[in-house]
Amino acid sequence: MLDGLSSKLEQYLDTLSARQKLVARNIANADTPGYKTQDIDFQSELGRAAGSAPSVIEPEGLPTKNDGNNVNLDHQARLLAENDIRFNIATQLIRGNIHELREAITEGRNS
Amino acid sequence: MSLFGSLSVSASGMDAQRTRAEILAENLANAETTRTPQGGPYRRKDVVFASTTVDSPFDSEFQSALDGQGVKVASVSVDQRDPEKRYLPGHPDADADGYVAFPRINPAEDMVDLMNASRGYQANVAAISAVKDMIQRSLDILK
Repeated sequence: MLDGLSSKLEQYLDTLSARQKLVARNIANADTPGYKTQDIDFQSELGRAAGSAPSVIEPEGLPTKNDGNNVNLDHQARLLAENDIRFNIATQLIRGNIHELREAITEGRNS
Repeated sequence: MSLFGSLSVSASGMDAQRTRAEILAENLANAETTRTPQGGPYRRKDVVFASTTVDSPFDSEFQSALDGQGVKVASVSVDQRDPEKRYLPGHPDADADGYVAFPRINPAEDMVDLMNASRGYQANVAAISAVKDMIQRSLDILK
């Protein structure tokens, strides 16, 4: 996209939407017997090459219910909110980048 | 990676939880039903959930491990336990000894499950509105 920072941000948004999808999946399957919580390892994701698909992990050590399901709805609700805020920050930063570029194009006259 | 797939996943969750709530309401409504078209008292039903892939608008374009894995009602199981016998000699459905077969339904159990279904539905709605927000934010980037 615009420069190195923006492409990193773009990848960050990508990872966040992948995670959001997993959270949606976990919530939908909160009552499915035998279903295991899925997540993305953020630390390793940020180092991955752009364009490749994020890898899905199954976090260990979560308390498992009698039916073999280990989704914690409260934990997923927290991730949902957290993801939303992270996404918000990243889009604001990209907007800022684009704003700067526009400023340069219009020589600071129009905005 | 498209955010639209998450919407389908959450929608499948809402659908499954609503079906579950309908079945539970049926159980509660029929807690004292002694006659059914199949004969005998009503039998308690319960849903079995299973993970499934759901269709999202761009499914064929982006096939990956992250594709929408939603939930569906795999089957509706029917309680096979013997009905509960109550001694009511005056009842039209009483057998020769005066016992009437009633469904083995504990309303408290169904109410708790119903609350669970309702919470699950709410959680899926929250997920949809969060994703909707994220999509809106992406559109706002170019404003």
